[in-house]
Formats: sequence, C-alpha cells, structure tokens
Amino acid sequence: MAESWLQEEKEFPYDRMLRECLRGELKVVNAGLPRNQKALTGLLAEEYPQVVCSDGSAHLFKRKELEYLASILDSNEQEALLLPVLIELTGNEGQAAVICVGGQEGKLVSKILDMPVIYEKGRITLYKPQLALLRKKLKTTTQYVFSPKIVQ
Amino acid sequence: MPQQLIKVRPTKIELVKLKRRLSLAQRVQKIVKDRLSILTMEFLQAARDTVQAKKKLVDDLSQAYKALSIATGYHGYLALEKELVATESEVKVTAGLRNIAGVRIPSLELRENVRSMRGYNLIDTSSWLDHAAELSEKSLEAAVELAELQRGLELMGMEINRTKRITNALEYMIIPSLQATINYLTMKFEERDREEKARLKRVKVLVARE
Repeated sequence: MAESWLQEEKEFPYDRMLRECLRGELKVVNAGLPRNQKALTGLLAEEYPQVVCSDGSAHLFKRKELEYLASILDSNEQEALLLPVLIELTGNEGQAAVICVGGQEGKLVSKILDMPVIYEKGRITLYKPQLALLRKKLKTTTQYVFSPKIVQ
Repeated sequence: MPQQLIKVRPTKIELVKLKRRLSLAQRVQKIVKDRLSILTMEFLQAARDTVQAKKKLVDDLSQAYKALSIATGYHGYLALEKELVATESEVKVTAGLRNIAGVRIPSLELRENVRSMRGYNLIDTSSWLDHAAELSEKSLEAAVELAELQRGLELMGMEINRTKRITNALEYMIIPSLQATINYLTMKFEERDREEKARLKRVKVLVARE
C-alpha cells in the first residue's frame, strides 16, 4: 500500500512543479528590472546609456528617446527623473500603474498621452490603450514590473 | 469533456493538499495570463510598427534609387562608378538588449556619422549625386529600425506560443482536474457523513427495540 502511494506521488508531482513554475515565471518576467535607476542627465552624458538589470544583463536606452524626454522636461526635472520609468502590473488585467518618485513622471505621461493624469499613492493608473501609447513612445525608457500583488 | 480525476487517497489531508495545489495553480495562471496579455499588446504594437517601417524603407529606397538613376544618367555610368569607388564608409550601429516581460529583444540604433565629405570629388560631380547619397543614408535608418522590429516580432511570437501553451495547460487541464478531484472528494466525505448518520440512527432504533 505504502509503495503504491509513493508511486502515485512520483506520477503527480504537482506541488513541486507548480511551485517551480511560479518561481521561474516571476524570475523571468522581472529579469529586466534595473538594479538601480539612473538620472536622465547622467544618461545623456554617457556614450552608451544603459543600466544593469537584476539578471546581470545590460538594458540599453535609445539616445533619441532620452533626447525626447529632455525636450519635455526642464533641467531640474531631468536631474530628478530616474530611468527606466517603472510600470507596475497589479493583477487587474485592464490596468497598469506608472510608479512616480517625483512629479516629473506625471508631467511626462501627461504630455505623451495629451491628457491630465491623477496621482494616487505615488501611482498613475493607466488603462491598456494608454499604456500601449506610452510604450510606443518610450520603448526603452520604461520597464514593466510584475508586482507580487499579482500572485496574492 | 469529463475531467480526469487525480488518483489520491480519499482522506481529509489529501483534500487540504489538493486545495493548496489549486491555489498555487491559480496564482501561476494569474501571472502567466498577465504576461501573455502584455506580450500580445507589445506584439501587436510591433506588428503595426513593422508595417510602417517596411513602407518607409520601401519609399526611401525607391526615392534613393530614382535619384541615383538620375545621377547616373547625368554623369554616365562609368564616370559615376569611378567617383564612387572609394566612397565606402562603415556604418556604426549601437546594439544592445531590452527586456519585455522576460523576452530579450535586440535594440539597435544607428549612430550619426558626422562627416563633412562623402568621399567623392565635389568638383566633378553634381548635386544630383549629393541628393542620391543623402536619400541612401536616410534609408539606412529605416533598415536598422526594421531589422530591430522584425527580430523582436519573431522572438515575441515564439514566447507568446510558449506562454499560451502553459496558460492552456493550466486552464483546461491542471485546474479543472484539481477542481474535479476536490469536488469528488468533498462529495465522498459528505456521503460518508450521511452513511454514518444513517448507521447511527439504525443503531439507535435497534438499541431502543431491545
């Protein structure tokens, strides 16, 4: 009886497989997160503007995008804006949130989407069509964060 | 389609274990679905951009070839070939990677070459050739953009397929079979309870008769 039970456990190792799958997926989707963000002014001064990701790879910024951001913001805001701008996905499939450290992210999003934005607890809530528009303009200067809230 | 039941011992501990597995499977499904939706959104955007970039490249190249053919007609083929023989220059492209929801996509950017001269004799050539050279340089930018977009599209497509398989496996196989087994066990325990109650009633009647 005990042996047959062990065999059944070997046939259906669901727990381990699912746990590994969850861990693996979270690791993979958040591999592109930067170890630390850099200010826009600093990046503009670099020859190859880039940040190091959590998996050790380099995330390269396009100079054109950086210049576009610099054209929107004044010098103080350029100093304060940390890149890449993080977009948090919080489990609600139709929505995402831009994480705001200061007000400059709001100005940026407002300018790109051409509409006023509302801050709520350091976040700007965006809907999918708006997110697509934002990502179209800022391909390398924004990064997705898959929040642990998704899996709670 | 009836769901396949998982072979487990019908005990309460197994039921608790199965419920835990179900909650874990649902968490995995949530994150995988979110990833799939983001990848699909990016894929569609990349597809739209690719169409635009391709159109731009074709337009730019056709203009460049037209201008070159006018320049060839003006100077003559041999004279133009003689002028252009030493004009080759290297194109600098900054290449890197960017990560979209776990997919590493190449990021290419043409570096602007600051050149005062293109390498041919300005006295012996006309402005037609300058115009053709300018248009050819412009088309390079579209070519680099298209290369980046197409590779990104391929990589995202492959990842969407993989993620879709995981989502389908979870949605149509793993989660339903876990739910069916949980339902089966719950019903079995309820049946046992009912049997137990009936047995107790029967015993009570027998004891009362004696």
